[in-house]
Amino acid sequence: MSYKLTRIDPDAPQDSQYPVGERRVVDDPMDDQVHRNVFMGKLENIMHNVVNWGRKNSLWPYNFGLSCCYVEMTTAFTAPHDVARFGSEVLRASPRQADVMVVSGTCFVKMAPIIQQLYDQMLEPKWVISMGSCANSGGMYDIYSVVQGVDKFLPVDVYIPGCPPRPEAFLQGLQLLQDSIQQERRPLTWVVGDQGVYKAEMPSQRDKKRDERIAVTELRSPDEV
Amino acid sequence: MTSETSQAGNTGFAIVDELKARFGEANLVVQPTLTGMPVVWVAREQLIEVMHFVQQVRKPFVMLYDLHGVDERLRMHRSGLPPADFTVFYQLMSLERNSELMIKVALHEDDLRVPTLCNVYLNANWYEREVFDMFGIEFTGHPHLTRMLMPPTWHGHPLRKDYPARATEFDPYTLTMEGQDREQEALRFNPEEWGMKRQSGDTDYMFLNLGPNHPSVHGVFRIALQLDGEEVVDCVPDIGYHHRGAEKMAERQSWHSYIPYTDRIDYTGGVMNNLPYILATEKLAGITVTPRAETIRVMMSEMFRINSHLLFLGTFLQDLGAMSPVFYTFSDRQRAYYVIEAITGFRMHPAWFRIGGVAHDLPRGWDRLVREFLDWMPPRLDEYERAMMDNSIVRERTVNIATHTTAEALTWGVTGPNLRATGLKYDLRKAKPYSGYENFDFDIPVGTNGDVFDRGMLRIEEMRQSLRIIEQCLKNMPEGDYKADHPLTTPPPRDKMLQHIETLITHFLQVSWGPVLKPNESFQMIEATKGLNSYYLTSDGNTMSYRTRIRTPSFAHLQHIPAVINGGFVPDLIAHLGSIDFVMADVDR
Ligand code: SF4
Repeated sequence: MSYKLTRIDPDAPQDSQYPVGERRVVDDPMDDQVHRNVFMGKLENIMHNVVNWGRKNSLWPYNFGLSCCYVEMTTAFTAPHDVARFGSEVLRASPRQADVMVVSGTCFVKMAPIIQQLYDQMLEPKWVISMGSCANSGGMYDIYSVVQGVDKFLPVDVYIPGCPPRPEAFLQGLQLLQDSIQQERRPLTWVVGDQGVYKAEMPSQRDKKRDERIAVTELRSPDEV
Repeated sequence: MTSETSQAGNTGFAIVDELKARFGEANLVVQPTLTGMPVVWVAREQLIEVMHFVQQVRKPFVMLYDLHGVDERLRMHRSGLPPADFTVFYQLMSLERNSELMIKVALHEDDLRVPTLCNVYLNANWYEREVFDMFGIEFTGHPHLTRMLMPPTWHGHPLRKDYPARATEFDPYTLTMEGQDREQEALRFNPEEWGMKRQSGDTDYMFLNLGPNHPSVHGVFRIALQLDGEEVVDCVPDIGYHHRGAEKMAERQSWHSYIPYTDRIDYTGGVMNNLPYILATEKLAGITVTPRAETIRVMMSEMFRINSHLLFLGTFLQDLGAMSPVFYTFSDRQRAYYVIEAITGFRMHPAWFRIGGVAHDLPRGWDRLVREFLDWMPPRLDEYERAMMDNSIVRERTVNIATHTTAEALTWGVTGPNLRATGLKYDLRKAKPYSGYENFDFDIPVGTNGDVFDRGMLRIEEMRQSLRIIEQCLKNMPEGDYKADHPLTTPPPRDKMLQHIETLITHFLQVSWGPVLKPNESFQMIEATKGLNSYYLTSDGNTMSYRTRIRTPSFAHLQHIPAVINGGFVPDLIAHLGSIDFVMADVDR
């Protein structure tokens, strides 16, 4: 599996564009390790798995909403959908305590610097879910006051399509993020070793489901409830 | 455009004679429109005098309902109107006359100045700032004429016809570290700019920036507070973080393809947002819809009213610190969505009304779903009333908090449940019924104190009334077509299309280019979930609107905040914000 490596540069010059830092696609860093020393490699692998397992099952979302999609996001947090089943019910009102920022709604030009600021205030490890067409690409708002996709300045981990996505879609997005976190390679210590963040390049759901979707020939009639 | 179309059977036109008597017929131009209200052009020099007059006339126009502008430079069909490059229009409301009045002022491109109305109608303040922001029209004498919706660092005036609409016509958005600092710095709240002191006597005031992202401001709304301890001495709401250019968007979407954008104005109101837009376009097109379509529209609108009020109730109580209500009300919303989804096919933004009717007929079995919902809700509402509104902590936090009177509400343009909470029995569904509301039997709940508690309680009662309306729809759903048989119905009924090549071509043109509506102006106001919402459409004989003005209730409600909250405490502000029920899309559009 290939990985995306991110290295933060603390001395980035003032005119560098967000997202700041170096990004490139690399191979799984663990493959190397395993060839060097089988025992240490295995141990490290286990450590990563354990830490990732803990992280992915206790994702604390940041209570942050921009627009209509936020309503569907909060719906996912309430009783009928119950996000607690996935360990993400601890909504935090402060970015400093949150792990995942769900950009749910339209990313407005006036709001963009603020979103960036809030993202910067979150502590690593942190993730971003882009929820809804607006956050993904500007959606139906190709208009002067809307940034055409939050990934113009934030690194996005999962995109959830829909306008708005159903709460179930949000829950699926969350699980996809969990899957991807399970594959991550983050530094296990800040003292020794490589300090880069390796995120797995996850397969696109569209490609994965294409055959199944295209095989559908009968759609449900709207004349029946 | 005959004077007949504009004046037929409307007593609201008496004001025109009164104006003529006072200012002389030669000084006024009366424009015939389909808006259902008199539209009178006056000279800029006379504006303030005219405004004073209508404010003080017998049966006065108590409320400045709306104020905005039009860029007239590209408008083709404007014969008989005073020459103008830009227009500023003022819309006033009189409750005693049960009518509106529109005053227009023509402006020339090299002299874009109008005297401010802030000293006549207080709530002109924000509207004028918005017009300045959008058109670059200057309001002389305005106390704080700065940008309202766009960032302070913005260049240009987006609603001008020569300003590009699409983001993709500009360079792609980028944000640098420097740029971020600059933008943030530009947003810094500067008390001196607003005439605030940093200290007085022996107190140093604290300035607290609440928002634009705070759990209790319901989205992206910012309010800067001047605090003396817990007390709010003064505050300045700051909006525009949610501006999606909905009005500009209307100038490039066809009449038909704009419908989905209306859903997203008051995004908790779903198809109810379609209603004023659709009704206004139908006036332009001259379509009368079938009773069945009308009743379906009423039923779905009321479903969304309940849905929106449930969201309100949950979040309102959550703002007061009660965690659990939101879980209950959202479970009910889920039940409402079962019905909405079965009928319209989508949850939040179905965009389901069409010019001339609705998108589909009701599916088989709809009545069972609606019945289940009607049976489910009443005991829940009783429970909410008992468990939440009778709760002594809730009462302590809300009774006699953030009160305002009817007169204040009217001065600030407050409408809907927030107005009724002050005790005024004014509901547009009764005062000026539309879409067949006159056929329904329901009451208008009112409050007494105009406080946070009343605003909460009233909405529970409104849900009961909505259930009554839905029940009547269920029992008396008329038979017939769900779309009008009219050449401009879009898309045309399918069986009409399959006749011969002519009908096929018409169908094709209507769904590709969209219908062409005759040049005229029309207007429709509705009692939306949050107050009076209206669309003022100007057609220039094209497939798109020339200008669409969307007046939203929440804009007025936010402008009203300082008048209510100054002198109160921070927790009262939070309670107030929860109780006025706003969503930012309904403010910034
Ligand atoms: S994607 Fe759709 S629902 Fe979500 S914020 Fe944008 S317009 Fe609203």
